Amino acid sequence: MCGIAAIYNKKQQKPFLKDLIIRMISCLTHRGPDGSGIYIADNIALGQRRLSIIDLAGGNQPMITDRYVIIYNGEIFNYIELREELKQNEDIHFNTTCDTEVVIRAFEVYGLDALAKFNGQFALVLWDKKEKKLIIARDRYGVRPLYILHHNNSYYFASELKAFDTIEGYERRFDTENLFEHALMWNTLDDATVYEKIRSLPSGTCEIYQEGRCIKKIRYYEIGESLPSQTTDFKTALDEFTSLLNDAVKLRLRSDVPVATYLSGGIDSSVITYLTSLHNKETFKTFSVSFEDKDFDESAFQQEMVKRLNSDHFELLINYSMIDENFLEAVYHLERPVFRTAPVPLFLLSKMVHDEGIKVVLTGEGADEVLFGYDSFKEVKLLDFWAKHPESAIRPLLLKKLYPHLQHYKDPRQFGLIRLYYEGFLNDYNNELVGLNIRIYNNKALSNFFNKDLHIFYSKEKILEKTKKILPSNFDNWTLLQKNQFLEFKTLLSGYLLSSQGDRMSMAHSVEGRYPFLDHRLIEKLFYYPDNFKLRIFSQKYLLGKAFQQVIPESIINRPKRPYMAPDLKSFFSKGKLTEHAAYFLSDNLLDQYGIFDKKIVSMLIKKFERKMPDEIGYRDNMALTFVLSCQMANYWARNPKKNCLALKQLKIYEE
Amino acid sequence: MPERIQEQLLDFLTRNFLVSREEIILDESLIDQGIIDSFGLIEIASFLEKEFAIAVTEKQMTRQNFGSVYKIVNFIKNEMNK
Repeated sequence: MCGIAAIYNKKQQKPFLKDLIIRMISCLTHRGPDGSGIYIADNIALGQRRLSIIDLAGGNQPMITDRYVIIYNGEIFNYIELREELKQNEDIHFNTTCDTEVVIRAFEVYGLDALAKFNGQFALVLWDKKEKKLIIARDRYGVRPLYILHHNNSYYFASELKAFDTIEGYERRFDTENLFEHALMWNTLDDATVYEKIRSLPSGTCEIYQEGRCIKKIRYYEIGESLPSQTTDFKTALDEFTSLLNDAVKLRLRSDVPVATYLSGGIDSSVITYLTSLHNKETFKTFSVSFEDKDFDESAFQQEMVKRLNSDHFELLINYSMIDENFLEAVYHLERPVFRTAPVPLFLLSKMVHDEGIKVVLTGEGADEVLFGYDSFKEVKLLDFWAKHPESAIRPLLLKKLYPHLQHYKDPRQFGLIRLYYEGFLNDYNNELVGLNIRIYNNKALSNFFNKDLHIFYSKEKILEKTKKILPSNFDNWTLLQKNQFLEFKTLLSGYLLSSQGDRMSMAHSVEGRYPFLDHRLIEKLFYYPDNFKLRIFSQKYLLGKAFQQVIPESIINRPKRPYMAPDLKSFFSKGKLTEHAAYFLSDNLLDQYGIFDKKIVSMLIKKFERKMPDEIGYRDNMALTFVLSCQMANYWARNPKKNCLALKQLKIYEE
Repeated sequence: MPERIQEQLLDFLTRNFLVSREEIILDESLIDQGIIDSFGLIEIASFLEKEFAIAVTEKQMTRQNFGSVYKIVNFIKNEMNK
């Protein structure tokens, strides 16, 4: 795991490139504190910060062969098998046991076809010395980040945007249209980011640069690209799934340093921790977040698993003020607005993990997408069932099963209101946005918060058009739930869960997250299983529960699914007022200075909660305050980059 | 009396859902206008309970009663006259 940066520039001289690449990687130290190296040649500079996990002594980067130079962030979990395969080739000789060398040799033998052979999570930059060609690539689901800035006829690449802030004469600025798209979908579609001139390399793609420009963009993987599964029997599916998940865990335990797991209290991380215990005969560490506010706390379920597996367990207790006090620093790493404060406890947890000497954790991320765990899958299924007989009085009764974890839906009198609300979607779910219709509808209220001078307005047609552009050609053949899965992967998973709650929060403290549910073999297999293997009536992740019912406590399998959340809006109010931090960033003065939001509307929102803090706060208000505040903070960091980046110790320099 | 009820309701809507009065179309659904989401409906129901002592029953929660500001005002009026 690492932080990487590169410059591709036809004009600048080597001393200039060298100076800049050192600055760029010096602010990525948190991603890789164990070593650093740069490579400089005509038109190109590559830099890397290393977090050493495999082949601690031999895996230094940039790695250079006769033809290629590589910088690489991530892991190829099947590197051992690939190495064996490559060794069949007489011309290939390995100098290290490191997975980076496997990547470079795979390119030597297979060219770009190497990408489809990798089972991993990575972002890489490869310089082809012979053809003077630059190749950049990213893993299938976007676990590891790679950004591209095109500025003054140069291309810059980096794991995090803060590296671009070190370029003289460049200032990172929001693209407000994209910012609103991000607000609607919780991600910008395709390769857009919330910043001007900066693109994100789409997951499952690579790009080739030559003669000073991008000459090719290639998609090497798309979700659902496999042939439909022949498995129609549930018993066979159980066996296939268990064996694939077990192998996915086994591969992800490959490491020359100890591996720990996160335990959230839900079934996903419990299963991953259980499977880890099968392969890891020694006691291993587990980590959890718990909350003082019992509405959010899941520690009772975490403890059940700890007792069962006898792990060496660490728990981090979070209160409101910890969220308030650490939000600014978390946003420094997030580099974009978020809608929930849930990343903050994970930011603090990775610090605890780091302090305990752990560099690698396995988590349950991805299970909700792969096995239809989100409410959006239930909503779509229900709407589709109801829409066939919209006049039915019985069918909407299923709405009561939608949100068993939400207190305010327990009151049967509220049921009528919920029915009124969902009724509005009966004609508006069976289109290209599927479950996102509801999310977008709820989030469009954020347009009200934007500065009226920016002329931000909501257009469903525009979002639909943009979404259509990213859909694969076989999309129309899928069921509604498969379509919804694809969209969840492209929005919530890659834009929020893997990035804001995943990569950024763990790498902030040099911890690498690994996600067995995101093994592509498993995803492709399960994608074509019948829907009711995954969502049986309203029983979410049915296959997972059945597969592990003998080994996971029943209370964990049968508990209503609840999303991992932390207190949002409440964390930023104390004694009837905004906290000091929040008050500064939401002050008229700073709102005016940054010009993104309408200060009158922001002030109305604040006053609503200064008058009285209700026991329960709705989705919209929680989201609006967290979004506006994190936008202001992200803007602050873009305008005031940290200057105290660490000096690079033992920097290895390769010049040609 | 209906005017006063409407005033109170509009005052609640503007303060809670951060819209100005001019933005609220009185004979259209608040949901369709995007002013409230599902939790907004719950906030309105609890407002009726607190301000007018009206405990809304499940059967009463229909578009007929809650489909617009006018309809909600009418509903409040009828309930208070009971």
